[in-house]
Amino acid sequence: MIGHNSKNKKFWMRPKVIFAMFVLIMAYGGGIFSSVIAPYDYAEQDLSSVRQGPSMEHFLGTDFVGRDHFSRIIYSLRTNLIITFAAVVTGGVVLGIFLGLMSGYCGGWIDSLVMRIGDIFLAFPGLLLVILIAATIRPRLINWAREIEDTTFIEGLVQWGVIDYVIVFGSLAAFGWVGIARMVRGQVLQIREFEYVVAGKAIGASTPRVLLKHVFPNALPPIIVVLTMGMGSIVGAEVILSWLGIGIQPPTPSLGNMIREAQNISVLQNYPHMLIPPVLVVALLIFAWNLLGDAINDFFNPRSR
Amino acid sequence: MRNFRYFVSGLLIILIIGCFGCIENNTNVKIDSSNDTLGESIEDSVFRRIWDDVPTLDPHHVSDTTSATIVVELFSGLVTISPDLLVVPDLAESWDISADGITYTFYLRDNAKFQNGRKVTAYDVEYSLERALNPSTMSPTVKNFLGDIVGSDDVMNGITKKISGVKVLDEMTISISIDQPKAYFLSKLTYPVSFVVDRNDIEKNDNSWFLNPNGTGPFILDKYVVGEELILRKNPNYYLNLPKLDYVIFKLSGGSALAMYENNEIDITGVGVADLDRISNVDDPLNSEVVVAIPGFDLTYIGFNVSMPPFDDPNIRKALAMSINKQLIASQVLLDLVVPANGILPPNFPGYNLEFNQINPDYEYNLELARELILNSKYSNNVPRIIITVPGMGGSVGLDLQVITQSWIDELLLNVEIEQVEWATFLDDLNARTFQSFAGMGWQADYPDPENFLDVNFHSKSPLNHTGYNNVNVDTLLEDARIKQSWEERKLLYNEAEKIIVQDAPIIPLWHSGENMVLIKPHVKGYLLTPLIIPKLKYVYIEK
Amino acid sequence: MVAYVIKRVLWFPLVLAIISFVTFTMGFYGPGDPAMVRLGPKATPESIERMREKMGLNDPFLYQYTNYVFDALNGDFGESYSFSGRTVAELITKKIGISFQLGLAAMIISIGIGIPLGVLAAIRQGTLMDTFLVGFGLFFYATPVFISAPLLIMFFGVKFHLLPTSGWDGITSLSAIMPVIVLGFPGIAVMTRLTRASFLEVINQDFVRTAHAKGLSDFQVNTRHVMKNALIPLITVLGLSLATLVEGAFITETIFGIPGIGRLAVDSILSRDYPVIMAITLIVAFAFSLTNLIVDLLYCYVDPRIRLTG
Repeated sequence: MIGHNSKNKKFWMRPKVIFAMFVLIMAYGGGIFSSVIAPYDYAEQDLSSVRQGPSMEHFLGTDFVGRDHFSRIIYSLRTNLIITFAAVVTGGVVLGIFLGLMSGYCGGWIDSLVMRIGDIFLAFPGLLLVILIAATIRPRLINWAREIEDTTFIEGLVQWGVIDYVIVFGSLAAFGWVGIARMVRGQVLQIREFEYVVAGKAIGASTPRVLLKHVFPNALPPIIVVLTMGMGSIVGAEVILSWLGIGIQPPTPSLGNMIREAQNISVLQNYPHMLIPPVLVVALLIFAWNLLGDAINDFFNPRSR
Repeated sequence: MRNFRYFVSGLLIILIIGCFGCIENNTNVKIDSSNDTLGESIEDSVFRRIWDDVPTLDPHHVSDTTSATIVVELFSGLVTISPDLLVVPDLAESWDISADGITYTFYLRDNAKFQNGRKVTAYDVEYSLERALNPSTMSPTVKNFLGDIVGSDDVMNGITKKISGVKVLDEMTISISIDQPKAYFLSKLTYPVSFVVDRNDIEKNDNSWFLNPNGTGPFILDKYVVGEELILRKNPNYYLNLPKLDYVIFKLSGGSALAMYENNEIDITGVGVADLDRISNVDDPLNSEVVVAIPGFDLTYIGFNVSMPPFDDPNIRKALAMSINKQLIASQVLLDLVVPANGILPPNFPGYNLEFNQINPDYEYNLELARELILNSKYSNNVPRIIITVPGMGGSVGLDLQVITQSWIDELLLNVEIEQVEWATFLDDLNARTFQSFAGMGWQADYPDPENFLDVNFHSKSPLNHTGYNNVNVDTLLEDARIKQSWEERKLLYNEAEKIIVQDAPIIPLWHSGENMVLIKPHVKGYLLTPLIIPKLKYVYIEK
Repeated sequence: MVAYVIKRVLWFPLVLAIISFVTFTMGFYGPGDPAMVRLGPKATPESIERMREKMGLNDPFLYQYTNYVFDALNGDFGESYSFSGRTVAELITKKIGISFQLGLAAMIISIGIGIPLGVLAAIRQGTLMDTFLVGFGLFFYATPVFISAPLLIMFFGVKFHLLPTSGWDGITSLSAIMPVIVLGFPGIAVMTRLTRASFLEVINQDFVRTAHAKGLSDFQVNTRHVMKNALIPLITVLGLSLATLVEGAFITETIFGIPGIGRLAVDSILSRDYPVIMAITLIVAFAFSLTNLIVDLLYCYVDPRIRLTG
């Protein structure tokens, strides 16, 4: 982390980074301001113009019930944005880093416990479990949410897909922490032996203080690289889950649902405008995250360039 | 280092799975591998289509159309339904009905044989009925189809194994007595649960005998590999005109039907919304292969739980029924692949009432009136949230339903949500009647009698009455119609009942499956597009 | 070392027990009744009740679970709920075979294509070729297969009618080409990236410079010295991640209509076919745990600096 400041400008000027940032800002900016940018509501139907190709009014065309495709993609980006960040924040950062730090620094039974629990999660066929959760637990969660809505002033939990968000990012988080925790632990195991950490411990600094002041900052670069590269996978995972029909439920728009609905060979053949745009958007998003991850990696490990 | 882990995992999986692979190669799970070069030789005539894995092949367990379509080709019963939808002799050559309409005497065909050549006797018929009713068989449908036979309750309750109402008069003659003179009883005997099975099969292996059954139908089950294919072979011992096809191949591995049709991988397929524009174009090469099927005997509907708010107020149900522009949806969204349903019985079905369906429907599209009805309901401006539950997960909400709910939200300012629940949970909750309203389900007739639509779904005591609809007048009409002997009288009663039901609106009828577009290869002849499931593969032949 | 292995092996049954218990519990307490699914929407309540009785669904939870475990230990995974008359073993072996062939073929092409491309990119480092290959890698790395599948189907199946759009006639048939490519794509990307990185690492080391200094040609240096050393760490990253393969199989099998284990898994969850769900979960979990153990042992073998703890 030391001495990189002089290179920062160079980092931001790299074409890779410029391209990646451009895509990400456009996509997520569109998602954040979806209600301003989208010309139509995602649920607005116009039965007099169904299955239309791109035109002046609908510049990515319309779907089978006359909804504007462009608007739906914009709103889908919002869905994707929320889930991606929720999954990263809960699963990747908080759980993974915390458990990894603890396990690596404390060692002993805490280490064993965390790693063995990690083993169990690693041994689970993750996607299967997520489908099982969606099939068995989701209906019950929905019922609870309805009860909450009926008995309190909270509204729209189900309608706005809050439950679906919870299930999807919950399952992403549940299986996302293990990898990060293992990596952080490995880093910490190395750093723990460095002189200044040993010295810090020797002069009686508290555990949280040593972790925060010395261990964490030194473990940060690889964590950033892994996280950025992992963002692409998480974007993809949300799409996969929705695509399998266990993620975000319609009518809340999501890229996975749009791809699923259009992914029939007949649609592909006769109305390619329904499939190509959402597929391209997903591909570009993942590409941009990977590109950014790669650039950061080059930055921290110049030799592999 | 993480990737290293994956490398080793990969290797290990190869080893483990490889072992399974070896086991699999040695213990062949084919049902009958007597014919390996199947369908490949030129002189064989083969008919191929896409199908799904069948939940069961045991005729006494069949309750779904996927299984029934196959089972009616493998097995047969005393009577069957002809292509012109009449009840005609099958294993029985003829029958008498006693003057009081209660006792049926069937005379079996002399040449009726099982597929292995054994003669079918009255004892086989008796055994099959007893097995179907026996509680340990656990037939899901037997109560609906054979529950009219005298003494059937005692067998179903496990008190006895013999049905008192079924008597073997001699080796080729059997009589069946029913509790009331129900004119439609004969058509119930066309359903698979009444089919004849071979006692030796079942005594040998009760758990999986139907994977290699000795049936009486025109085709023999040649091979069934789950998820791959199910193959039928011609039954050379068939007692009626022999089938003309040598093999029928049902492809079970999924895929895009139209693409497979175009690639010459299958001989028949339906046409979906996404392909209609293209196929309808006369310049398209497929256009000449389009066959238009007559509307099916089915109904898609939205059902309301009439005991749950807000649907306990008929005004709300009527208002919703009135605010669906069925014509517009049918033409714009579903491209006229469906026929809008105003009544319950489908066109051409016995008892279909043209006047009431097309000339003067009870609920024409009328938003003004619908709003008024809602205001006049006991909920007026404060209608509780409406949740429509549909089976299936993700992306599979019907287009029609998406349009309908959106229009209720926009036009009636109601709070409507669609809730998708996967099939297992859906069934559970449907039977427990915990839904406020449900959709995405249809009723497909089992036999051509209005009883099968109206009585089964709307009589207050029927186990399949999912809406909880309960109207004393309707019950009386339906009960009267059961025992009237004259068709004209019955028809009037059913018309009356249908009218009341539609007015009460426990369901909103949406569509009959309509004039389906089907593509059939030109060399396939004699394929009948019937609105009911009947044994029909024996009529198909290939013209080279 | 021996103590460590024993400790880890003893850990196995516990992991499997926990996993089977969690799966079983979710099935038991979740909504949906297998008897109802089996008998269909026209079933009468009496027949459903009898079916529940026959399937043993009315027994208490612990009784059912211990029964299951006992039978499974004896190699009996029971009968499928939804495919009547079929044992779980019969259903699964057949399908695992298909998924296995598909996965293996995908692995082979990802290695066969990925490594040469990676070497090419490393040798031509900094050129347009390198940029292109790296970009290709980044694009397909972590890209879900349903991005590439529809495009392939559109071109090869629908537009040019070169390949069947779906179905499965065995690994040697035309129908296998597209699924294998689709499943192998991310693997190619991963292999390309890793080979390139590993190669560059080795190229800059002293002994390679020495080799150049000795006057060996580029080709000789690359094959004799660089390749040999670059492939050692590569062996550790060969192959696709198991998770990617399994996940990819779910989707690939669904899109292409391949009767493999992935589709069976999804179908059995939807139809509440608990015996099949349990069997698949346990088999995969067993394989995952076993590989985790072996990997940890091999780590230690490859890099003795790593201590075995825990």
